[in-house]
Amino acid sequence: MTEEVAAATTQVVMGSSFWIATAIFLIAYAVIVSEKIHKTIVAVFGAGVMLILKILEQHEAFHVEEFGIDWNVIFLLISMMVIINLMRPTGVFEYIAVKSAKLGKGEPFRILVIFAIVTAVLSALLDNVTTVLLIVPVTILIADALQVDALPYLISCALASNIGGTATLIGDPPNIMIASKAQLSFMDFIYHLSPIVIIIMVFYVFAIKLIWGKKLKTKEELKTRIMSMEENEAIKDPVMLKKSLFVLAIVLTGFIFHGVLHFQPATVALFGAGLLLLLSKTHEPHHILAEVEWPTIFFFMGLFIIIGGVVKVGLIKWMSVQVLELTQGNMFATSMVVMWFSAFASAFIDNIPYVATMNPLIVDMAKQLWPDLSGTQLLHHADLMPLWWSLALGACLGGNGTAIGASANVIVVGMSEKLGKRISFGKFMLYGMPIMVMTVLVATVYVWLRYYVLKI
Amino acid sequence: MKAKDLMIPLQEYLEPDNTLKEAANLLRIALRGEEKIGVKALPVLDASGNLIGILSIGDILKAVHPAYMDLMNLGSFAWDGMVETFAQKASGKKVRDLMTSKVITVKEDATLMECIDHMLKNKVKRVPVLNKEHRVTGMLYERDMFYEITKSMINENTGGGK
Repeated sequence: MTEEVAAATTQVVMGSSFWIATAIFLIAYAVIVSEKIHKTIVAVFGAGVMLILKILEQHEAFHVEEFGIDWNVIFLLISMMVIINLMRPTGVFEYIAVKSAKLGKGEPFRILVIFAIVTAVLSALLDNVTTVLLIVPVTILIADALQVDALPYLISCALASNIGGTATLIGDPPNIMIASKAQLSFMDFIYHLSPIVIIIMVFYVFAIKLIWGKKLKTKEELKTRIMSMEENEAIKDPVMLKKSLFVLAIVLTGFIFHGVLHFQPATVALFGAGLLLLLSKTHEPHHILAEVEWPTIFFFMGLFIIIGGVVKVGLIKWMSVQVLELTQGNMFATSMVVMWFSAFASAFIDNIPYVATMNPLIVDMAKQLWPDLSGTQLLHHADLMPLWWSLALGACLGGNGTAIGASANVIVVGMSEKLGKRISFGKFMLYGMPIMVMTVLVATVYVWLRYYVLKI
Repeated sequence: MKAKDLMIPLQEYLEPDNTLKEAANLLRIALRGEEKIGVKALPVLDASGNLIGILSIGDILKAVHPAYMDLMNLGSFAWDGMVETFAQKASGKKVRDLMTSKVITVKEDATLMECIDHMLKNKVKRVPVLNKEHRVTGMLYERDMFYEITKSMINENTGGGK
């Protein structure tokens, strides 16, 4: 083992391009973490520098899978955003939220639990940023109606969205990236991550019962405010709603079978977006497309190019050697290190650049462990699979640690501030960090039990 | 006719540290010429008399309308008594936090057409009128503009300028 690793190390030539690329990578990440300049600008500029200095050739950045932009991720994100932007004006999300509150019979804690579950499910099926954007306003309305503190609802919305998003391929950007890199299908995620996410949600509900269960009380007469809300009034465009649900059903079915049918998830999503645009009969696609979160999309593109640069010069390979030396090639130890390191790393830095770095690192690690294998034989090696799941669990659940750990948290905190309910960094962490540690602990037991003891 | 001939000369104004309650009260009883019948907006002047904003009754409506309702279509889920609750909550807020600080103004000697042009293009219904020293000397309201227009319509032969 150690000889192999040593042999691999010598393959990394630490020439001038190695150091230039490493410097660009480190500076870009440092500036992203410092938040002095918008992360999208940093990523795009960093990518520009990588290209202009010819660390990476343009055709490598645009057309080579190993080094370049992962178009699968880009088009999956854009397409899902388009579908949701078309769905949003129908009022379906207001409908779901109000219906959930009524299901809770105006009981504040019961509503908190139902909202957590609804948020988790929506986050698994859509993406969690969109979900929290849609849930937060209704959440505050409900809290105001019941005259209870909105804080538990807001924090729980962020936490539940990150837990729920962990469950599926499309739920959270790290999963989209991992799926594309490791060529894992939607059903792989359902089979390996959804069960544990359901278990984690059960733990989560007990945890919030402990934290907020006794504190949330309201008067009987205020409950009637909730019960007299008419959820059907939320539906503004029933025709478009039917079309959207039809397309969403096709897309979700497409995701379920994409592995069997040999379609990439992006193909399914792009088809859905195109179909819904067509069915919407809009003559002005301009504003639907303008609402795509372009800063996020460009952040991804820039990041992929920066990572491509450091992959090409061998930095990532060198890093993977260090990890393997640390864990002595013990796969269980490696997956634990990956999970816990990922959790804490994603709690403090954006999990998107983190996973963008870890993906090629894991691939390089696999190449060193099994130099004779390639393609899916390498990526889906039985000993490697738990590593992908550990990365996904760590990176997604780790997002709950702090207010900046996941985009959903940033959105919830930002919206809350704008809406006059400030959540400080410390306040978020007070709830987020224990929940993160608890959920990652549960995930640790799951990975150990399923992949190293039961081996199923 | 120029802006200064049609404006209501400045008699009352708001200060940034006024509470919303004080501001609302002043809007209700402000002088319009001789009568205390209220106005729809008042300029906000700082201690040295510089124009720093304008507060209209629209801003008062916004002050009781929770920001989360801007984000989604939640109007049909509001409850009876919601406005009263939010009005009480908002009454202590400061004018500086609720005023519109990007103010569209006109100069004293602006022609009426220029004033209408500003009002329509910027979608405002009242504009503070400034003198050469950039001090507010009055307020020009949409409805005074309307009276002036109707005057010309009814009495056609006065058309043109003076």
